[in-house]
Amino acid sequence: MELIARARTGDTQAWGDLYREYAPAIFRFCRRAMPTREDAEDATMEIFMKLRDKLVQYDASRSFTAWLYKIAANHCWDMLRRKKARHDKDMDDIEEVPLECPEPNQLEKLIEERTGEEVRRALDKLGMRARMALVMRYYSDMSYDEIADALGVRRQFVGVVLLRARHELRQALGESSALAVGGAR
Amino acid sequence: VNEPEMKHDQPPDNACLDEMTLLLYAERQLDREAAQGVSLHTQTCARCLTLLRALDRESRLLTRSMLEQEEPLPARLAEFHAQVKRNMQWIWGLVFGLAALGVYELYATYIAPWQTQLNEAGFTGNNLLSLVVFQGAFWKGWASMFGLFQVLAVMVMAGAGLFAFRRYLRRGSAMAVVLSGLGVLLAVASPATATEFRKSDSVTIQKDEVIKGDLFVTGNHVRIEGEVDGDVYAFAEQLEVSGRINGDLLGAIQTERISGVVEGNVRTAAHDVTITGTVERSVLAWNDSFTLDSGGKIGRSLTVGGDSIVLDGKIGRDLLGFFKNCTISGLVGGSVRARGEMLSITSGAEIDGKTRFNGHKEPNVSADAKLASPVEFSKVEHKHEARTAGYYLWRIIFTGAFILFGLVLTGLMPRFAVETVESAGQMGASFGLGVLVFFGVFLASLIACVTVVGLFVGLSSLMLWALMLMASEVVVGGIVGQWIMGRDHEFWPFFLRVVVGVIAVRVVTSVPFIGGWAGFAVGIWGMGAISLALYRRLQPALAPKIPSVPLPPVNTPLPPNTTVGGI
Repeated sequence: MELIARARTGDTQAWGDLYREYAPAIFRFCRRAMPTREDAEDATMEIFMKLRDKLVQYDASRSFTAWLYKIAANHCWDMLRRKKARHDKDMDDIEEVPLECPEPNQLEKLIEERTGEEVRRALDKLGMRARMALVMRYYSDMSYDEIADALGVRRQFVGVVLLRARHELRQALGESSALAVGGAR
Repeated sequence: VNEPEMKHDQPPDNACLDEMTLLLYAERQLDREAAQGVSLHTQTCARCLTLLRALDRESRLLTRSMLEQEEPLPARLAEFHAQVKRNMQWIWGLVFGLAALGVYELYATYIAPWQTQLNEAGFTGNNLLSLVVFQGAFWKGWASMFGLFQVLAVMVMAGAGLFAFRRYLRRGSAMAVVLSGLGVLLAVASPATATEFRKSDSVTIQKDEVIKGDLFVTGNHVRIEGEVDGDVYAFAEQLEVSGRINGDLLGAIQTERISGVVEGNVRTAAHDVTITGTVERSVLAWNDSFTLDSGGKIGRSLTVGGDSIVLDGKIGRDLLGFFKNCTISGLVGGSVRARGEMLSITSGAEIDGKTRFNGHKEPNVSADAKLASPVEFSKVEHKHEARTAGYYLWRIIFTGAFILFGLVLTGLMPRFAVETVESAGQMGASFGLGVLVFFGVFLASLIACVTVVGLFVGLSSLMLWALMLMASEVVVGGIVGQWIMGRDHEFWPFFLRVVVGVIAVRVVTSVPFIGGWAGFAVGIWGMGAISLALYRRLQPALAPKIPSVPLPPVNTPLPPNTTVGGI
């Protein structure tokens, strides 16, 4: 907190330290959320430029990391939207299709067999909204309210977005059809 | 997006829960009453309990996968560099405005008067550029394809293209594709005519020999006694043309003698040139001594620079000369514009146009010489001691231009700018390397231009060299600014030091007598610093300054682990 306070006063050394401490995590966040490495690099740089401008607005009673991730998420989503990639590839046509409930044991088996690298590769195949939602929730631990705010959807809809994202992920992992045997219950 | 109506609060008794409800329960998104219902159900339903556990584990797998670090922080993100993207649009407007002013000034001060002079000397339009620069040995299409402004337009478009696709060009592979494409384009551009190469200590084109197409010849002694039905590009110690060249003659030659016929133009840099034969079109020659013999004839204009010029023969049109001594005894069909120390017009001379001489001494004009009008003489004045207000005004404008140039460079390459200025701090290394680059790259580029390496490589290197020379004042300004104000590598403080330093450097280089030498030293110093910074960048041992970011420990503040509940 002292570091942040010093950075807010314009201390360049403190700002440098702050950047070095948080840049790796923010770059990783962007790397997960953005489609290419170059986009992630650009986004990271721009997020910190934005952060430097907004640092005076930071409410010290709140978690700094949560606030920083909120800025990052908003920025990444804006970038994606500007790239006209906001609409998930399957979002419009699959939205009405009911999701099939996975067979629990097969889902467990799938999770046991998959490595982190495989999951990351599968994440790259997801639509923008699905990936963004998963990153916000499971990487930066953002609340449903914050996710709803960032994605511009109603709070009640966040669960649906996350669930559909998980199904997309399972499909990308190549096991979706085998798992979905029980049907919706 | 359509949002379906959902009701997760009351899961039905005696029935398995849906996945949505279990997910919301796992993520603690259900209210207390609904959560209790799910908890009770999972105590009696193995299937739902298994699914709940699977969802929980899936959450953990997602978090773990995303947290795993598989690549280091990129080099350009190793340190924060405030990009000058926002609020900088006005800078670009100013830069372009100033650039336009500079182009206009360049055109009005240098190009237009030269163009006028060259038109008078027989060149028209942009022929000079196309003939002298772009008429390469391998593709004659340059001449018809490019004019000066076309070249500028192409360069601007190329710059805009590179800027537009800069994101993709970061990848080495993409850059390689672009360069390969450019290479293929150049390679595909087939020559208009075949080129024959001759290289030997002594090369002779025999009397009965006819070469169809261009001839590229190098050797100590070159004789052209036969016929060349194309252009001749010659690099030789001695060249004698007693035969016939149906195109142009271009070359760098120690001693050149033309006793035969050249149907086209002659463009040469030589020590001694003697023309006793005929050149049907124009001659452009830079040499120590130039002689147009009484039997010699130039169909159009002569543009000549040298120590000693003797003109006994016939020149069809204008004469433009820069010399120490010049004697005109023959016929000049057009006007004469000359600048030099001494001009003599003897009794046998005939000049059909105006004669203007800007020299150190009054010309010696024989009373028997036939002149269309009296010689207009103006004495050369040394103006460097009397500097006008205009001089200082332009110094100020150019100082502003250099500062803006520095701003652009710093904005585009903030980290490299800092590294370059730091390199300038090592004066010994910078000066040493600067001398090497200043002379070495310049000479190598010139050699590349006139040899088979090619104009493209040569001109590209020269442009790079010129750019480095322009940037050198900014670099030296940066280090001088740091000496004055102390070090600071943040963008604006750094740029402020560049501004102060550039002003200081410009003041020093404006001082009479020492200013020129100071400017020369600044050029060498700055070029050396840029080269040193580039060299360090390319050193593999120094490159990985990027900290490889390890996997953060579990208790790291970023990001916190996802909490899942309910089991």
